[in-house]
Amino acid sequence: MTPELLYEILSKYAESQGIQLNKDREYVLEILEGLLTNESRYGYRSCPCRLATGVKEKDADIICPCVYRDPDIKDYGRCYCRLYVSKEWDEGKVKHVKVPERRSKDH
Amino acid sequence: MEEQKKKVRLYALSTCPECKRLRQFLDEHNVKYEVIEVDLLDSGEQWVMTKELKRYNPEVYYPTLVIEEVISGFDGEAIKEALDIK
Repeated sequence: MTPELLYEILSKYAESQGIQLNKDREYVLEILEGLLTNESRYGYRSCPCRLATGVKEKDADIICPCVYRDPDIKDYGRCYCRLYVSKEWDEGKVKHVKVPERRSKDH
Repeated sequence: MEEQKKKVRLYALSTCPECKRLRQFLDEHNVKYEVIEVDLLDSGEQWVMTKELKRYNPEVYYPTLVIEEVISGFDGEAIKEALDIK
């Protein structure tokens, strides 16, 4: 799997869910590279913007797409990592702010 | 070139694009910094570094940049300047 191929697959997947990939393609490809690095490291695509433990059960909530993606897109227009975004966010119609971590502090 | 007075430390992940962009920014501005790519450490070291990062930023966000000013001895003027005391 290459980041480019994953880009193609995930952009169709995002569209099917009524959202999209960030229009900054270069940035997205870097995220996808991180996802693939984590896949070869841990055996699953954990979020490249968070520290994984390598134990799948403990990291289950941050396997991309993470369980926080939809509430983050609803509230801020984008996921924590800025991979998945709403159309409005991408068009600059929603104020771009940092997304606070929803994950419990115990991780 | 004048020596950099502030110590700069970056807590980052090797996989995170925002971390890469922050590093590029620091490089472009010729900032000397120490970078810790926490995901590349072994699990014991990760534990220590996460604990250290938590002290600065309880949110444990990557990237987190810590800028520290070191003042040697009691230098009132330097302390005032560093803490913006009028």
